[in-house]
Amino acid sequence: PPSLLGIAVKDNIATVGSRTTCGSGILREYKSPFEAGVVRNLHLHDYAVRGKTNLDEFGMGSHSTHSFFGHVANAWPFNNLSAGGSSGGSAAAVASEQCSAALGTDTGGSVRLPAAYTGIVGFKPSYGTISRWGVVPYANSMDTVGIMASDVASIKEAFHKAKLHDPRDPTCISDKAWKRLQPQRNAAILKMDAKRRRMSEAHALNMVGVRIGVPLEYNISELEPGIRQAWRDCLGTLQDQGAVIVPVSLPNTKHALSAYYVLAPAEAASNLSKYDGVRYGTRDGLPDGSNGVLYSRTRGNGFGDEVKRRILLGSYTLSSEAVDNYFLKAQKVRRLVQRDFDRIFAAPNPLRQAEQFDLKDMDESIQMSSKLGPTQVDFIVCPTAPTLPPTLDDASKQTSVDTYMNDVLTVPASLAGIPAISVPFPIPEEFLSEGKPAFAGMQIIGQYATDSALITIAEIMVN
Amino acid sequence: MARIPPSVLRRYLFGGHLPTGGCLRQVRHCRPTAHSLSTKRYHGTQVPSANTESAGPETTIPFRKQLKDEAKKRKAEGTGKKSKQDSQKLDSWELTVGIEIHAQLNTARKLFSAASSSINDAPNTHVALFDVAMPGSQPTFQKETLIPALRAALALNCEIQKTSRFDRKHYFHWDQPAGYQITQYYEPFARDGHITLFSHDGIAAEDGEQVKIGIKQIQMEQDTAKTISQPGEIHLLDFNRVGLPLIEIITLPQIHHPSTATALVRKIQLLLNAVDACVLGMQSGGLRADVNVSVRRRDSPSTSSNSYGGVTGLGQRTEIKNLSSFKAVEDAIIAERDRQISVLENGGVIEGETRGWTIGSTETKRLRGKEGEVDYRYMPDPDLAPVVIGDDLIEHLQSTLGVLPDEEILILTKEYGLTTKDAMSLISLNEGGRVEYFRNVVDEYLAISSEEPTEEVGKLCGNWVLHEMGGLANDLADEENPLKITSKGDSVIPAKQLAQLVQFLSLKKITGRTAKKVLSELFEAGLTGKEETAQGIIEREGLWFRPLSDAEYDDLAREILDGNTKVVEEILAGKEGKINFLVGQMMRADQDGRVDATKAREVVRKLIEEHR
Repeated sequence: PPSLLGIAVKDNIATVGSRTTCGSGILREYKSPFEAGVVRNLHLHDYAVRGKTNLDEFGMGSHSTHSFFGHVANAWPFNNLSAGGSSGGSAAAVASEQCSAALGTDTGGSVRLPAAYTGIVGFKPSYGTISRWGVVPYANSMDTVGIMASDVASIKEAFHKAKLHDPRDPTCISDKAWKRLQPQRNAAILKMDAKRRRMSEAHALNMVGVRIGVPLEYNISELEPGIRQAWRDCLGTLQDQGAVIVPVSLPNTKHALSAYYVLAPAEAASNLSKYDGVRYGTRDGLPDGSNGVLYSRTRGNGFGDEVKRRILLGSYTLSSEAVDNYFLKAQKVRRLVQRDFDRIFAAPNPLRQAEQFDLKDMDESIQMSSKLGPTQVDFIVCPTAPTLPPTLDDASKQTSVDTYMNDVLTVPASLAGIPAISVPFPIPEEFLSEGKPAFAGMQIIGQYATDSALITIAEIMVN
Repeated sequence: MARIPPSVLRRYLFGGHLPTGGCLRQVRHCRPTAHSLSTKRYHGTQVPSANTESAGPETTIPFRKQLKDEAKKRKAEGTGKKSKQDSQKLDSWELTVGIEIHAQLNTARKLFSAASSSINDAPNTHVALFDVAMPGSQPTFQKETLIPALRAALALNCEIQKTSRFDRKHYFHWDQPAGYQITQYYEPFARDGHITLFSHDGIAAEDGEQVKIGIKQIQMEQDTAKTISQPGEIHLLDFNRVGLPLIEIITLPQIHHPSTATALVRKIQLLLNAVDACVLGMQSGGLRADVNVSVRRRDSPSTSSNSYGGVTGLGQRTEIKNLSSFKAVEDAIIAERDRQISVLENGGVIEGETRGWTIGSTETKRLRGKEGEVDYRYMPDPDLAPVVIGDDLIEHLQSTLGVLPDEEILILTKEYGLTTKDAMSLISLNEGGRVEYFRNVVDEYLAISSEEPTEEVGKLCGNWVLHEMGGLANDLADEENPLKITSKGDSVIPAKQLAQLVQFLSLKKITGRTAKKVLSELFEAGLTGKEETAQGIIEREGLWFRPLSDAEYDDLAREILDGNTKVVEEILAGKEGKINFLVGQMMRADQDGRVDATKAREVVRKLIEEHR
């Protein structure tokens, strides 16, 4: 029926009646016997699944080119450009107006990066808000179901319908707990909202009282000039609307990407051990384990190169000789990254004990607002990706490490489990280049559980 | 304090009887099952060898056959010389053993899914999505599984950890659908316990009266699927078992004698049963042990850097996996100890390796060395929150833990005057039912005759409950449990009747022979469902003790003297001792056992004097 809202669902989210392949050869015929919690929730609210979308195999990739079913192309007229990954199929489906919204998964930026590359809005909620039951895990501790749409209003609507509590996901925050996290959190939003309503009569200064942080460490040399200029323009606009722009320091950012690429492959190697072709999945019928290693044939044939690379990486970083130097160190870095965010956000993280922060690692240029430290902020605004979408040709020539670089600005929020949304922002004319889009993804990051406020800010920013 | 009959669990498993109330577990539908003992449980938590071809079929060897084979083997080898040689060697070498015991918890559901636990149900009928690792399925920790786990930990004197976590242990095997087992590697739920073994537990004589063995930790983990081998290299998988909760109990290397090791395993099983923590016994595969064995010279101070759980200076250890009987534990340790000593005495070096033991063999077999060791790549499970255990739960379980076997033995010996040996027999018979019955009999006895001291009554009743009743036989009786003693202490011979019988005997209202006869009749009446009382039988058959009159004594004595003229002459010739022979003859001559020896001797002496 036409009243139903069509959604596209990334193919690592279980649906019944159609295959759930994860873009992998080993699951190319796999039909899930059950439906994912998030899909069920959306069904309950008049959404209908329009189709399943292609992705990087099991969500591992940044250009949606590592799929058993071939690569994803960006929406017209940028067909030769990368759509970003790993939720590239969902992004392209939204950008080409084939659905009103799409579900993706975001482990290290897999919703935000494709959104930035295709010029749509991509939202990664706080970890644990949307049920992962039926979402095929890549790295459980960071996997988050994300929502993509062409405007913020659609995201807002879909998010509130998707996030019905699901006890089958042990990491899904219960409604009760969510409420408990809310009061102090929403105080800020409500205060801001009230201000905004007062001001709206004057049609200006929507952001009065909102403090926006600009992380100095995110101003990396790899940032394309056009994107840096768009960021500057964006901050200028926010300031014009009354926001206070505050430079902040996230000193552990430089280690975040490395930590991510230790932790995510480790969890992936563990999660992907279940694919042996015994109970489900594809095998060629020949005897397995003939060369002395069980399932080597089925797994060797079933997985793509990027997946194999990450399984090897993860198996190594968990091995007894390397676990101390890699996996455990990376977990420590992850804590430090989380602490960085907790220190700069005005709102405390409701999941952790309040703590005193050591300021010695902070960039020297940060000004103190009091003897306790610098000004704390409500949100961070920064680019989603350091570059505009590369051509598929260029993307295929990138080394793995170059590709991993695309995630440098999205990974910290994933490690910290905090919400982030990517919205398109125009690039000034003088920086436009032939064949590349005229927008860049701008990311807003908030403290844990500030999802609603984050969406509100995104709405204002787009307007 | 509530007593938990140790056999409630077994009744529930073998007979499908559910304990009503008293147990925190939710009542669930349970199909009556029988003869679970014959099903060999084979815990697959061991690493499969890298070569899949070598993972042979699971063979089921009946325990009796195993014992027989072992006995045969020993006989065939002969013993004499060898043991002498060994004991000389052992003077200069010290054996050190640590044991890991896996036991299946007695719970209604699996560890991480709501699927029911089952023993003999149709294969693959209790399987949740998570159990077979369907993509996108997630674990839901079943907190009820903590109850038996905590009971076990409390019975083993462990410190319960406020916070514990689950980790993934990775290895590939077809019985492990996820490619990893969820266990507690970094933060187990219980640590630093101990178990005290007494000489009556069967420890080695060298360990003296008692020995305390430390428990390093206890962890919860998942069981694997059951492989059912078919002819022709076909293995069928039953996922009913996958994900069932196990506990692994890890001892410190503080055991120095093979028989102490066996005593430890046996006692742990006894304790787990006593606190209703564990399903099935070792012989039926509900319990499985891995042993770590090392030896070191006694005289030379060790320079070795090997240490484990704070015990230092150990020799290089080897691990023997998957021992499924008490006998196998002892034999495997002896064989491995002797092998290591002989390697070292010949100038060799012990490799850190995993070895196997097959029932009936004389030596352990190398399975794989260090280089073939699987790297389990332990990782905290990101989907599972830490388990936080509240003090209130621990206190509640502690207070409802019941009487542990050691305490029970103490009560039986101190209060009821039994010997340790008899006390242990009582406890171990009928899965705890015999001791319940014994207590019922004593209670009934004291109800009739409250002045008698409990200790005396206990001794008397203990003898009848254990020895006289143990000797009863009847064609109608069931071979397994002829007396049909239940866990609550009921029997075909009502406790009240036995108490009455024993009391008649004690008051000399009947003779011992009569008492045995009446017991036997009560037994038969019980088996055929007739209502009989001890008193009724005695009345009906006129069995009350009636002392012989002087005339009857006289007649009887004359009769005996007439038949033994030779003996009488010998006595007259001065062999006074022969009088006892005649007294004996008199006692035997009276069918009802009414002859009193003192009185009989008097009469015989009087008559012989008349002969002079």
